[in-house]
Amino acid sequence: MSALTVRVVVLVPALAALLGLVVARRPDGKVSRLVAQAGSLVTLAAALVQLLLTHGSGHVVHVGLMAPLPAGELRIPLQLQVSAPAALIAVVVAVVGWAVHAFAAWYLRDDDRYGVFAATVSLFCAGMLLVVQSADLVLTLVGWEVMGWCSYLLIGHWSRKETARRAAHKAFLVTRLADVGFVLGVVLLAAHTGSTAYPAVMAAFSGQPTTLPMVLLLVGVLGKSAMVPFHDWLPDAMEGPTPASALIHAATMVAAGTFVLAQLFDLFAASDAARWVLALSTAVTMVWSAMLAFGQSDLKRLLAYSTLSQVALMLSALAVAPPHDGPGAGVLHLYSHAFFKALLFLAIGWLAVGMGGTAAASLRGGLRGHLFIRPAMFVGLLSLAGVPPLVGFVSKEHVLSAAERGAAQGEARAWLVLVAALLTVVLTAAYCMRAWLVLDDVRNADVARHDADSAPASVRTAVTVLAVLTVVGGLVVLTPLVHTGGHVGWLLALVSVLLVVGAALAVRSRAADGDPAARLVGSRATSFDRGFGVDRLYVAAVARPVLALARLVVFLDREVVDAYVRGTATATRWGGTGAQRAHRAERAASGLTWVVAGVVAVTLAGVLLW
Amino acid sequence: MILAALVVPAAVAVWLLSAGRSLTHRASNLLATTASAVTLVAVVAAVVVRPTVDRPWVPSLGLRWELAVDGISAPLLLLTALLTVAVVVHTTDRPPVGGTSAAFHACLLLVEFGALATFFARDAVLFFVAFEVVLVPMWVLITRYGDAHRPAERAGAGARFVLYTAFGSTLMLVGVLALVAKAGTSDLDVLARGGGHGIPGHTQAVIAALLVAGLAVKVPVFPVHTWLPPAHTTAPTAGSVLLAAVLLKMGTYGLVRLPLASVPEGFARVAPVLAVLGAVGILWGGLACLVERDLKRLVAYSSVAHMGFVVIGLASGTRTGLQAALFANVAHGIVSALLFVVVGGLKERWGDADLETSRAAVREVAPRLGFALVVGLAASLGLPGLIGFWGEFLSVYAAWSAEGRPLALFRTLAVVAAVGTVLAAAYALRVARVVWAGDRNVPLIADTRSSEWLVVAVLVVSTIGLGVVPGPLLALTGGAVASIVGAAP
Repeated sequence: MSALTVRVVVLVPALAALLGLVVARRPDGKVSRLVAQAGSLVTLAAALVQLLLTHGSGHVVHVGLMAPLPAGELRIPLQLQVSAPAALIAVVVAVVGWAVHAFAAWYLRDDDRYGVFAATVSLFCAGMLLVVQSADLVLTLVGWEVMGWCSYLLIGHWSRKETARRAAHKAFLVTRLADVGFVLGVVLLAAHTGSTAYPAVMAAFSGQPTTLPMVLLLVGVLGKSAMVPFHDWLPDAMEGPTPASALIHAATMVAAGTFVLAQLFDLFAASDAARWVLALSTAVTMVWSAMLAFGQSDLKRLLAYSTLSQVALMLSALAVAPPHDGPGAGVLHLYSHAFFKALLFLAIGWLAVGMGGTAAASLRGGLRGHLFIRPAMFVGLLSLAGVPPLVGFVSKEHVLSAAERGAAQGEARAWLVLVAALLTVVLTAAYCMRAWLVLDDVRNADVARHDADSAPASVRTAVTVLAVLTVVGGLVVLTPLVHTGGHVGWLLALVSVLLVVGAALAVRSRAADGDPAARLVGSRATSFDRGFGVDRLYVAAVARPVLALARLVVFLDREVVDAYVRGTATATRWGGTGAQRAHRAERAASGLTWVVAGVVAVTLAGVLLW
Repeated sequence: MILAALVVPAAVAVWLLSAGRSLTHRASNLLATTASAVTLVAVVAAVVVRPTVDRPWVPSLGLRWELAVDGISAPLLLLTALLTVAVVVHTTDRPPVGGTSAAFHACLLLVEFGALATFFARDAVLFFVAFEVVLVPMWVLITRYGDAHRPAERAGAGARFVLYTAFGSTLMLVGVLALVAKAGTSDLDVLARGGGHGIPGHTQAVIAALLVAGLAVKVPVFPVHTWLPPAHTTAPTAGSVLLAAVLLKMGTYGLVRLPLASVPEGFARVAPVLAVLGAVGILWGGLACLVERDLKRLVAYSSVAHMGFVVIGLASGTRTGLQAALFANVAHGIVSALLFVVVGGLKERWGDADLETSRAAVREVAPRLGFALVVGLAASLGLPGLIGFWGEFLSVYAAWSAEGRPLALFRTLAVVAAVGTVLAAAYALRVARVVWAGDRNVPLIADTRSSEWLVVAVLVVSTIGLGVVPGPLLALTGGAVASIVGAAP
């Protein structure tokens, strides 16, 4: 039974993508909508069944996806796994995938390429579910790269816009560059083991040094999760349609790295160097991007930076949690972030439909009188800020206490992460408060403007489900579904709640005329919007030198490598002309004499040597 | 069946060149379609049944007509037969310019004949003869039927193609003759079983060096690749497809059959150099693609990069490496065929293939063609789930775990090859951004339809199919690979 469900979970979205592509060019999107939503519902049902079947057992079942690949010495069994964490995250992905499908069908109802979009979203979910359920490094790599490609297509969905084309290009290239590390990490793990199956890799590396493969793998994770120094692609990715952003940010691509590292946690925890790299990168990212989030003039980009900060928080749990605690805290934050971030994106997308844009200036006061989105946005922002008892609070506290336990063991990097995380708590509360003050600005309220409330029942259902999960999702820690390895420290929880309240009140007090960021950031808003110029750094440090090298290569190809070829031809022609000149003076008869002499000589030689 | 697969294209081609010269385009196309379809059936049957043909040819020299099928040649035979059908069908509604239609089809069939004979041959000398048969018809295709706008470049590209590869062939011929003289037989199976026993190490190295140098021209390996871009740029679409998908494969096939199987010890000495050149080719081709202005030349340079992965796989000397090389070989055949059909179609519609000219975005005006282009580009950058991934991933793996070779060097090359995949992504996305995506709708071009769409669809389906389920193709080559590398000392 579990063998069947896990195959359904992975294969149904893939089939939905294929079928969706076939029907994508039908003029009305009806068939595409049907395929996409049916596919996502079947996936969700299968994921739920799987969760029920594995309920709480620590037992792991391996299921072959297809026949093992005969690849010479290397064994590639291509197995999937059914385990409690995988089943839980599969449900999260399926829920978000379903909500995104429901929302996109309405949001893109007038888009002429909705069919392709829906098929790509299905494929994206298939890639993520493959990563979640995979028990084979190669399958993980396949799902990983498929997600990267789908993100390219989704970000560049509105390819008539130059900004969208550039954002898609940048997203794919940056993540692909980092994926060199991922591929090499996979190759190193497989080369040492002789197999790509997770259990075999775990067994082969127990007690072995794992630093090099883990650091390489980590580089790929940092790229896909948009951690410093690869972070700048994610805010630009806001050029994609909002449902795509919800999908990429909430449950799939950027969070995938957390789950991959959690799968390999035993190997990862064995390498101090890799954990240091992760701790440094996430500590910098969470503070840096929370700060940038505050100053964004576009609220969708504010959410993008908040994703960076939150993903850094979930990854940091893996960097600092004591080895015997396991990766539970990070996985729990992945679970909770998926719900509230998807909720926030769908809510802001819904709001933007009626308000004509996601810039803070045009969204001002948009929530007032909006009976449906206002509470949704409210719980979403509270959860992001980490207010008890919402799901965001529960998981954030688990991450904090994982760091605290690490710090209690005297780990310097755990102190680093703990301090950075507390700073992030303050900043997060500040930008959440700012977003709320802007959106709920009573002076700009326009109660007449609520045609956006005309969303169909499916969208309302999706947003409601996400909102409910955002409120009560934290109860999951009381079930045997997650093993977080430790309890929340009450003192730390109290401290962080006080920090949240304090920061929120401080921001509120500065909000004399609406947007507090306008007072605090002021004229520096442009450099906040540009992410402090990291994009220019990418261009100057990577793109330009590579292009210069490419021009050099083309020059060398033409003027050096090919010069020998042309030179041979020229030399031959000169030789021919020269010989022709040399012969021109001679009469035919003398030439014939030489030929006859040659024949005689050869004959004599033949006779004598025989 | 093997004879049928060889005689049918050869006989029809000869008839088309002699008695059938005055045939109309439609009639000669129909005839060629039938002939290539019959050949395809015969090849499929031969791959399934695996018959052998063994007749004396020049008894005094011990040469024989020895033809057979095994796991190494089977995928390439199928690829050749399938793509010939594809290019002939593709020609249906594009009458060739520059010469008679009958001669055009005859050349296509002759290339098929030569390629099939090369892959069937089990005799080193027969292999060489078949290897050379394809040159002349391909030269005719480039110089007579190539880019109608630029006659001088056509002639230059054709001449360069023939002279360059003939030069490579001479080196190979010397190598083959030395091998046959030293080993005392020209039977490739016997040579492979012998595994170079009885030939001293340095002689093996010399033979292997000659063979590798000669075949490297055909593959092509950096720095002897400069014949490829002009040939591809000027050749007609059918010619480009056969050139990329069939002729280049003869080079890598030759590398497996001759040096790798026959003089493994010598090949082991040459392998590091070959692998380094392959890795340089990956970077070189990838970088050239980043600034190349002509779309067809760009695809040609990407071929150099892709063949670099094949060469690294071969040079690694592991079973995984050989599997990777054979898979990447087929993958490149299908993907480059797809890209050349699409790009050739674009060039036909645009009038040239300059990337700097601003045009209508293909995604907007020709969605089907755009889809095919994107699948081709994605496969070209090695996206998992498409055919290009498996060969390249396994090749990197094989280079990393190349036991018995200079390990530090091969590991460096693995890193270089992995970096090369980023360059592949960069140039593939560059093409996508310039050609596929955009907001312009003028000048309007027609979307793909009828025969072209059929060919494109078959290639797209194979790209996705073998990418999702690579098992059968790997299994097809698995047995033969184990026997070749297993036999190595």
